[in-house]
Amino acid sequence: MKQRFRLGVDAGGTFTDFVLAEHNGPLRLFKSPSTPEDGTKAIAAGLQQMAEALDMPVSQIVQNCDLCINGTTVALNALIELKGVKVGLLCTAGHEDSIEIRLGHKEEGYRYDASYPPAPQLVPRHLRRPVRGRILADGSEHEALNEDDILAAIEHFRREQVQSVAISFVWSVRNPAHEARARELVEQHLPGVFVCSGSEVYPQVREYTRTSTTVVNAYLSPVMGRYVQRIDAFFAELGAHSPVRYYQSNGGLAVGDIMRERAVNAINSGPASAPQAGLYIARPFGIDNVITVDMGGTSFDITLAKDGQTNLNRNIDFLRHRIGVPMIHVETLGAGGGSIAHINTFGMLQVGPHSAGASPGPACYGKGGEHATVTDANLALGYLRPDAVLGGTIRLDQPKARQAISANVAEPLNISVERAAYGISTLVNLNMANGIRRISIEQGYDPRDFALICAGGATGMHITALAEELGIHTVLVPKFASCLCAFGQVISDVKYNYLASAPMRLDREADLVTLNRLFREMEDKGHRHLLADGFALDDIRVHRSLEMRYLGQIHECTVDIANGVIDGDSVDAILQAFHRRHEALFTYAEPHNPVELVNLECTITGLVDKPALPRLESDDDGVAQAHDGFRAMLFDATGSWVETPVYRGEKLRAGNRIVGPAAIEEPTTTVIIRPGWQAVLHESGSYQLTRWAE
Amino acid sequence: MTQVHQAASTIDPITLAVVRGALETAQREMTLTLEKTGRSSVFNLAHDYSNALFDHLPEMILQGQDIPIHLGSLIPAMKAVADYFGDDIQDGDVIYHNDPVYQGSHILDCCMYKPVFYQGELVFWTVCKGHLTDIGGPVPAGYNPAAKEIYAEGLRIPPVKLWDQGRRRDDVVNLLLSNMRARRDQEGDLNAQFGACRVGERNLIALLDKYGVATVRAAIAELKDMADRHMRSLIRSIPDGSYHGAAVLEDAGHGYGELTIQAQITVRDDSVHIRVQSPPQIPYFINSYAGNSMSGVYLGLMMFAQVPPPYNAGLYRCVTVDLGPQGTLCNAAEPAPHVNCTTTPMETLTDAVRKAFEAAAPERVTASWGHASGINIAGVNPATGEQYVTMVLASIISGAGATQYMDGWHACGPLCCFGALSSGDIELLEYAYPIIIHRYGLIEDSGGAGQQRGGSGTVWEVEPIGHDMTVIAFGEGRQIPTMGAAGARDVLVDQKLGRLEVEHDGELTVHRQNIITTLKPGQRARNVNPGGGGFGQPWLRAPQRVLADVKNGLVSLLAARSEYGVVIRADQQDIDAAATAALREEMSKGAQA
Repeated sequence: MKQRFRLGVDAGGTFTDFVLAEHNGPLRLFKSPSTPEDGTKAIAAGLQQMAEALDMPVSQIVQNCDLCINGTTVALNALIELKGVKVGLLCTAGHEDSIEIRLGHKEEGYRYDASYPPAPQLVPRHLRRPVRGRILADGSEHEALNEDDILAAIEHFRREQVQSVAISFVWSVRNPAHEARARELVEQHLPGVFVCSGSEVYPQVREYTRTSTTVVNAYLSPVMGRYVQRIDAFFAELGAHSPVRYYQSNGGLAVGDIMRERAVNAINSGPASAPQAGLYIARPFGIDNVITVDMGGTSFDITLAKDGQTNLNRNIDFLRHRIGVPMIHVETLGAGGGSIAHINTFGMLQVGPHSAGASPGPACYGKGGEHATVTDANLALGYLRPDAVLGGTIRLDQPKARQAISANVAEPLNISVERAAYGISTLVNLNMANGIRRISIEQGYDPRDFALICAGGATGMHITALAEELGIHTVLVPKFASCLCAFGQVISDVKYNYLASAPMRLDREADLVTLNRLFREMEDKGHRHLLADGFALDDIRVHRSLEMRYLGQIHECTVDIANGVIDGDSVDAILQAFHRRHEALFTYAEPHNPVELVNLECTITGLVDKPALPRLESDDDGVAQAHDGFRAMLFDATGSWVETPVYRGEKLRAGNRIVGPAAIEEPTTTVIIRPGWQAVLHESGSYQLTRWAE
Repeated sequence: MTQVHQAASTIDPITLAVVRGALETAQREMTLTLEKTGRSSVFNLAHDYSNALFDHLPEMILQGQDIPIHLGSLIPAMKAVADYFGDDIQDGDVIYHNDPVYQGSHILDCCMYKPVFYQGELVFWTVCKGHLTDIGGPVPAGYNPAAKEIYAEGLRIPPVKLWDQGRRRDDVVNLLLSNMRARRDQEGDLNAQFGACRVGERNLIALLDKYGVATVRAAIAELKDMADRHMRSLIRSIPDGSYHGAAVLEDAGHGYGELTIQAQITVRDDSVHIRVQSPPQIPYFINSYAGNSMSGVYLGLMMFAQVPPPYNAGLYRCVTVDLGPQGTLCNAAEPAPHVNCTTTPMETLTDAVRKAFEAAAPERVTASWGHASGINIAGVNPATGEQYVTMVLASIISGAGATQYMDGWHACGPLCCFGALSSGDIELLEYAYPIIIHRYGLIEDSGGAGQQRGGSGTVWEVEPIGHDMTVIAFGEGRQIPTMGAAGARDVLVDQKLGRLEVEHDGELTVHRQNIITTLKPGQRARNVNPGGGGFGQPWLRAPQRVLADVKNGLVSLLAARSEYGVVIRADQQDIDAAATAALREEMSKGAQA
C-alpha cells in the first residue's frame, strides 16, 4: 500500500459495508443503510462515521487512500427486478428470435413441470429488428449489408423511445464490418443512446451466447453508467487521487470508464469477492476448502472454493439469461434478515422469498414495517440485544418484533410467539442449507470436507445451526464477517479478460503470425490500460489460455499456455498439454487426430499489494474481561429459555475459548454459539468454531 | 419446501443426500463428456442422447433429464443385454447394442454399457445411449421411407462386446464403422460414448471408496423406495376405475390411411395398469418395437405425474404395461421397419396415454405438444471432399402445449423430446456443415388458439454451399394439428401445421409427407414445425394479451379476429372494445349451439 489507507465499499441491498484498511494498522468496519436511489448518500454516511471514528475530515481520509474500491448490486438488482432500460436489437434477418428460442431447450429440473414459466425477455419481439446482410463462417461477405433495414429499425426505435441498442450479427466474430457500420449509423441517428455490439462485448463463436450477452449488456450499461458517473464524481470531488475501482464478476477490479460500457461484467460485483476473502482468512488455519455464506438483509449468497481455487463459470444461464463472459460462481437465495414470514395458502408457515428490504425493513426497525421477518425472530429469540443498534442508526424494538410475529404467525397457527419465532429461524436455516447443498452436494462435493466461512451481518446468528444441519465441523467467523465482501475487494487485483477468436488447425504449419499478433494486441491493450492506471510493468501479470478441440468436435477444452512468442516448439508443447487435458477430463485422448484452435483468452492482472490480517495479542484473562452478563435465549422448540452468557468481542484476546451456549457480540455482527459448540479466537482475528463434544 | 419422507432405512439423511448428489454428478459428467467430445452435431449440439446408471440387478438407479424417447427403453434394454451375456460379464468389458429386437429404440440409437466392478464385484453399470448420424443402409441418416423390412434400414447390432476385459476388439469396431457413412465422425462418437462411460465409472468408484458398497447400496435402495412412494401417492389420488384415450396418426406417405392408437388405464388403489391397442404393423418405417413403445407410455405417464427428479426404476414399480399383441404397430415384430418410431408413432402413443390420464385426472390436463416433422441432410463437403450426414435437430423444434397456468413455451418441442433437446448454435452448425441457415425463427399464428395460447412452432430454412445436398423429411404433424385442451379450438388450421417447403428455381413445392429431395446451391428448403395446442376457449383470452401477441407478430390481425374474437384497429395500437364484445358473444353462443 502506497498510502495510509485503502477503502472498500460494498453496496448491498440493505446495507452498504465499508472496510478501511490501514497500512500496518487495523481494519476498521463501518455500515450504513443502503440508498438505492442514490448510492453516494450511503457512502457519505459511511465516510462521516469514519471521520468521527478517526477524528479526521472525510476529504483527508479519501485523499489518503491509495485505492477506493466499490462493489455494487446495481446491475444485479436491475436484472432481477427487470428494471434495465428499453433495448432495441439489430440482428441478422431470419435470426430475430434466437434469444427467445434459447436453443429450444427447457432447463433441467423442470422437464415435466407444467407451471414453470418461460424465461423473461429483455427485448420484446417487436424491438428485435431484422437487418439483411450476411457474413459466412469463413468471414466472407455473402450478402451486402442493407443499410435501409438499419435506418428503418432506427426509426422504429426512435418512435418506441429505445434507450439502448444492441447489435449482434451472425459471424460478426469473424468479420465485424457489418456491426461496425451499423454502430456508426446508430450513433449518427440516435445520439445519446447507448450502443454496443457483439463483436466488442463477447468476441467468441456462438451467436446465441453472443447476442444474449450483448443484450444483457445493453440492458444494464446505461443503469450502471449513471451509477458510476455519480460515484466517480463523488470521490473526485473529495480529492481522490486515483479513479474509483469497481468490482467485476470475474473477481478483479476495473475503472469506471470500462464499467459503464460493460455492465455485463459487473453483475456479480460484490458477492464475487467472497471466495477470495474466504481463502485469505482460512489460510492461517491451513484450510483451502471453503464455503462462504453471506446473509444480508434480502439475500443469501453462497460461494465455494476447493483446493484454494475459485470457481469461474463461463457461458452459463444466469437468472435464465445466457451470459458468456467469465463470472465467479455464486448461488443466491432470497433468504435474508428481512425475509418475511407468513402463512401461505396451504396454511403452512413460509419464510421468504419476499423481503421487507431496508425500508420499511423488519417490524423491529420501527420504520413502519408490519411484517414479521427473520430479524424479528432473532430478536424475539434473544439472539440480538433487545436494544441493539444496527448500522449505526437503527435501534431495534423488541416489543414490535414480538407483536409482528404474534399477529402474522403465532395467532394464525395458534402457537406461542416463542415457538413461532423458533419456527421462522428453523425454516430459514433449512432454506439456506438447501442452497449450500446445491453448490456442494449437487456438484459432487461433500460439505463436510469444507470449512464454513461466515460473512454478512446476520449470518453469525445462524451459522452454528447451519453447520449442524450440514454436518460441517469447522466454522470460521472473522471479526469483520459483516464486511467480508468489502474485505475481499480491498485484497483484489485489477483484472481484465480479453478474448479473441481465430479458428485454425493447430500444427507446425499453423498461422503463428496471426496467433502471436492477436496475443500481442490483447496484451498491449491490457498493458495500456494498466500503465495508464499507474501500474508499474513489474506489477503486471499476463495469463494466456487457448480453447482447443479435436477436428470435428464442437466444444473446446481450455488449456493454459506459457507467455512469449509461440513458435514450432511451443506448438508441440501446447498440443501435448491439450492431449493431457482431454485425457484428464474425459479419460481418453486422440493424439493421432488433428487439433483445432478456436478462441484465445488473455487475462491481464495489475497486482495490488494486500493489507495484512491483524495479529491479536493473547491474554488469558480476556474471557473474564469480555463477559457482559447473561441474556435469555431459546435454542430449541420446547420454549424453555436458557440464561446464556454474552461476551464483548472487542475485549476477547487471541487464544480465548468460549463454550456454548454463548453469544459473542462484535460491533457489526453477533455470533450465536449453540450448545455443543465452542469458539476459539485466533490471532488472525477469526473465531474458529468447532463441536467441543468431539 | 422439500418434502420430508420418513426414511425406512437407517441411512442418515446427509449421506443419503450426498449419495444422491454424487450419482447425479456422475450422470451429469457423463452427459458433459458426451457433449464436449462428440463429433456429430446430434451429440454435441442437440443432446440427442441419454446417460443412465444401473445397479447390479440391473435396475435403473438414475436417469438424467435427457430425451424422454430413451426414458423407458433403457430399462428393458439393459436387462436384455445383461441376460444375453449371462455370467460372462467381466471387468473391463464394454458392450454395444442398437437392435430393437433386444429392446433398443431405433437402430440409430446406439447404446454402450460398461459394467463397473469394485473389489472384484459387479456393482454398477454406466450406460450411454446416443443417436449416431448414420447407421449404414441405403439412405444417409437411416430414415428410409421405402424400406419394407428392418433389413433395408441399416446395420442391426445385437449385444456385442467392443472391449473384452479391457482389450479393444478392433476387428469388431472396424466391422461396425465400415458399415457407416462419415466414418471419422462415427468413430469420434464411439470414443465419446466410451469416455462418458468411463467418466461415470470414475465417479462411482470414488463414491464407493468414500462410503463403501453397503452404505451406497442402502442409499440407492432408499432412493428407489422414495420414488416408488411418490408415484404411488400420485396414482392413489386417482379414483379407482378404467379410463380411455385415443389419438390418430396421419398418413405420412404409406397409403394405409389414418391409424388410431388407443390406451386404457386401470387404476386400483396405488397401482395402475396401462393397456395399449394399435392396428397391425405395416411395411413402412413407423412401427415401434416394445422398448421404444415403453418410452411412449412412460412419457404419457410423466405428463400426468409431473414428478421432479431424480428418476429411477422405483417410479415404475406400481405400473404394469400391456403393449398389445406382437405384430401390431406399438408392439412390432421382426421384420417390421421402424426407424421413424422414436417420433412416429411414439408421439401419438404418448398422446393416447396422456388422454387416458386426462380422463382420469382432468385437473392435470395440459394441451399436447407439436409433433416432430424434421429433416436430415447429407452430402459431400466441397471444402474437404469429405462426406457429411446429420439429423437437423433444429428442424424439429416445435411449440409446447399450453397449460392451465400459462401459454405454451415457444420452440420447446417436439413432444417426444419435451424440451430436452438443444437445437445447437447456428454458427456452430454453419461451421460444421457447408450450409447457410437463412432463418430460424418463430412462426406467426402457429400456436394453438386458446385462453392460454399454444407455443409457436419454428421454421428452419437452409441452403447448401457449393454442392448438391440431399434433404430427407421424416415425422408427421403436417396434416392433423396438435390437440388443444379444455375447449381450445383452431380456425386457421393450416397455419398450425408443419410442412416442408422447397424452392427449386423459384418454384415452391409444399410437402406434407416424408420425401427425399436434392437441393442445389441457391435453392432453399424451409422446414416448418407445428405449434403447441391451446388451452381453454380462445375468446376468453384477455384482449390485451391478444394485442400484445399481434404487436409481437405471434398472432395476425386475421387470427386475432377469427380465432380470438378481438377486433384491433388497423394501426395495431388499440382494441375496438364494442366490436370485440359483440364478436366474442357470437363465438361463445356458437360454441354452445
